[in-house]
Amino acid sequence: MQTPTIGKQKYGLGKLWGIFGGVLFAYLFLGFMVIPCFNTLTSVFRETDAAGNPDPFAVIRFFFAGNMPLFLWNSIRLALCLVVTVNVVGISIVLLTEYFDIKGARILRLGYMTTLIYSGVALVTGYQFLYDPNGLMTKWMTEVMPGINRQWFTGFNAVLFTMTFACTSNHALFLRNAIRGIDYNTVEAARNLGAKPFKVLLKVVMPTLLPTLFSLTVMTFITGLCAMSAPTLLGYNSINPEIVRLAGSSVADEAFPQARAALLSVILAMCTITLLLVLNHYESKGHYLSVSKTKAKLVKQKIQNPVANVLAHIYAYVLFVIYMTPVVMIIVFSFQNWGNVRNKVLDFSSWTLSNYFGNQDYIYQNWKGKEMVSKGAISGVFGNEKTLGGIRLSFIMSAVAAALACVIVVIAVNYIFKHKKKKRGKLVEACLLFPWLLPTILICYSYRTFFNGNVFYVFGQNLYMKENVRILIVMAYMVVKLPFAVRMIKAAFYAIDEELEDAARNLGASQMTTFLKVKLPIVLPSVLAVFALNFNALFSEYDMGATFKKAEGTTYAMVIQSMCEDEGRNNVNMNASGRRCASTVFIMIISGLILYLVYGVGARDLGERLALRVKRRKRLEKIRGKLGLVHAAAEEAAVPDDGGNA
Amino acid sequence: MINLSDIVVKFGDFEALHRINVHVKEGEFFTFLGPSGCGKTTTLRTITGFIEPASGTVFMQGKDITHVPIEKRNIGIVFQSYALFPTMTVRDNIAFGLKIKKMKKDEIDRKVNDIAFKVDLTEEQLAKAVSQLSGGQQQRVAIARALVTEPAIICMDEPLSNLDAKLRVNLRNELKKMQREFGITTIYVTHDQEEALTLSDRIAVFNKGYIEQIGTPNEVYNHSKTEFVANFIGDINRLKGDVMQQMRLPANQAHYIRLERIAVQTAEKESGKVAPADDQAAVFEGVIESQEYYGLFIKYTIQAAGQTLKVVEKNDGINIYEPGESVLLRINPADIMHYDVR
Repeated sequence: MQTPTIGKQKYGLGKLWGIFGGVLFAYLFLGFMVIPCFNTLTSVFRETDAAGNPDPFAVIRFFFAGNMPLFLWNSIRLALCLVVTVNVVGISIVLLTEYFDIKGARILRLGYMTTLIYSGVALVTGYQFLYDPNGLMTKWMTEVMPGINRQWFTGFNAVLFTMTFACTSNHALFLRNAIRGIDYNTVEAARNLGAKPFKVLLKVVMPTLLPTLFSLTVMTFITGLCAMSAPTLLGYNSINPEIVRLAGSSVADEAFPQARAALLSVILAMCTITLLLVLNHYESKGHYLSVSKTKAKLVKQKIQNPVANVLAHIYAYVLFVIYMTPVVMIIVFSFQNWGNVRNKVLDFSSWTLSNYFGNQDYIYQNWKGKEMVSKGAISGVFGNEKTLGGIRLSFIMSAVAAALACVIVVIAVNYIFKHKKKKRGKLVEACLLFPWLLPTILICYSYRTFFNGNVFYVFGQNLYMKENVRILIVMAYMVVKLPFAVRMIKAAFYAIDEELEDAARNLGASQMTTFLKVKLPIVLPSVLAVFALNFNALFSEYDMGATFKKAEGTTYAMVIQSMCEDEGRNNVNMNASGRRCASTVFIMIISGLILYLVYGVGARDLGERLALRVKRRKRLEKIRGKLGLVHAAAEEAAVPDDGGNA
Repeated sequence: MINLSDIVVKFGDFEALHRINVHVKEGEFFTFLGPSGCGKTTTLRTITGFIEPASGTVFMQGKDITHVPIEKRNIGIVFQSYALFPTMTVRDNIAFGLKIKKMKKDEIDRKVNDIAFKVDLTEEQLAKAVSQLSGGQQQRVAIARALVTEPAIICMDEPLSNLDAKLRVNLRNELKKMQREFGITTIYVTHDQEEALTLSDRIAVFNKGYIEQIGTPNEVYNHSKTEFVANFIGDINRLKGDVMQQMRLPANQAHYIRLERIAVQTAEKESGKVAPADDQAAVFEGVIESQEYYGLFIKYTIQAAGQTLKVVEKNDGINIYEPGESVLLRINPADIMHYDVR
């Protein structure tokens, strides 16, 4: 007779599910992570010479002989400069809003945080719209300073400027949290021991921020190295745009373009892995944790020197203007008619919703002077089929990918949690974190090349062909978002009190019931937050869509990017720039809404929700009571006074 | 009721429990007491079924339950953290076990209302989230949830350890009252000696995976069987040098006396508890070194007979000794506990 094992319920069906899950996981990991990327790696060494003999190092020789190192250097140069500029601006905005007592800090913070909802291709095109040689801001700047070069916003300058402000979102989130975690008593202690405010900042505050700053620096460097949308749109020859160009090129035009693209992707991957290893090594050394058991909340520091105080205020508001101008201008221009938008002039007397809704005809005179009508040439975001198609496709692909990533990660993390001390638990976790080591472009490029043929394990289909590419994009989206989902959801699982599981089991719940009724509801807010944040990032995602570069996979961001290409040509697509502004506003609204749902509504626990419900009910009763009184008074007034008759 | 027979628990190569034998009687409030890592929670988790012993048998009401799954043991648990489900209301928390048993809704409602009434939870509190309740109320929810399934026994794993001192004392009394009212066999785990002494019918004192002594609070406190028990329960003085010689205490043993068993007196002020002088009592001269004021009593550190002794005196507001003051200490040999040196 078999002895029953305490606490472990053995279900035949459960075991079958376990085997099925394991096989599926292995299939996904090998089929969509390892094999395609390995294929890219080996493709570098599979070239042949003119005689058709294998020449494994041909691409590497070509790399050193040609101009390929230039692309690498350009990327490194951008990454290095970004590390400096992003840290300067990022640290500034956090210190100005969280550490120093600057008037209007709340408004400033809102301005600095606009990059959370205004980013990616929308931000790049927005900056381009305002700062290019004909841009509104460049015009104003040349009016104020006539000597300024109108072409200043091109190439490296433009990319650096745009990315500097676009990449401070992480500082705004993580450095802000770090500075808020400082124990104010340590600041007071330093002051009490005679340190001047600047010394306190330098010797007490900054050292505690160093681990966060180091992580942010590494992440910024990787972002700069792997930059895609800004260099592509603003014209800068860095690695990623070159990989995309080479991937679409043919051997008839140049020497082994695909292998060169693969080599560049592998170089990028090696850089990323090295940096992440450095980061991991640094993080493993531990952080400066506050040893205080009664942490005091940070009190904002007044800048005592009046001159420094004024300068700090000026600096804060200049940064605010830089952050806010594109946002405000894009919103304003989205309500301007097509003529104003194309000429980049503001006319406060002509406002329109045509960039958002409906279709309008464009009436013009041809060269013979005959009046012509271009049907539907002026169309809004929600009236233009191409834009709507992009929105629809991005919406569906992002939602599916974000949902898949969450489902896989929740199931996997539950498994990891159960087997946290065993090798298999660690192996599953490592597999899920694997894409973190690889640049997005390597994954997408690998998919594009590997699945552009009949692959046996995807039922012999060519996944790069026609609509199939959407499956590839969804898979790429999902794979890329797995590491973030793992880190967040794992943290949520680890926050669950282990006694809750014991309690549920003690009360008779099976493992499945415990998972569904106890653990899942606890981690659900985090899972939904991860879903929302991933969806948010993917909805306006440009880099991956551009790497696949397929008509059937034209995402919303790609539509935004290409919107102005045929603007006004042959008297069609007249308001493309205006629609692009409106599209950006639409993305900002979606992102803002998601952030509100995640950090506002989603952050409330059951207690807060119930308290709010009670509050709402009371308010309703109060209103009803008032209405009842009014109603009763009205009825009373309506009753005929027949007292006299009686 | 519960019988543990030669229980051995191993974690890898480490043996956490060494042949533990315990018998808990029906309706008894039985406490596992000991320092951290002594094996008390491991023993409790073996009874509840979270840990399977390497050898030995767990009997409940005469039946071997050693290999019976957790949910089939009919044992209620109140966890250290209470383990209340944060995503459920108080009512749903209490009803959880009943729902798992697939009871009818009416029956569940009736049982939840009954138990809520018994543990003093109002209808309004039942509709709240657990996070909206105070620590004491949460404890009542945890007890209600454990009791509503009508378990044969209830196990509590340091349920008061997360609370502040005053609330602990209040809830301790409530807990005892509830246990008496329900008449349910209770196994209670704590490292707090005072809690164990005030709550329990009997106490098992654990040390390094062994049980040192099982007995009533009085037996454990006044007749500690081992040096460890004597040291662990309450403050104690080890008698050395001159005291041992003067009282002719054998040198091959360790001799202890509880703080309150030493009487203090001066010529002017005589401690109320000092027994009339007799031939057996030994008297030593001492000097007050320091004084700790606790309100209800005062703890003195006294230098006497070449050693430091701690003494507790009831605070009557009159006989208060100041540091530097000379006093006489009286020790009755009958109050000394003797242990063989291990």
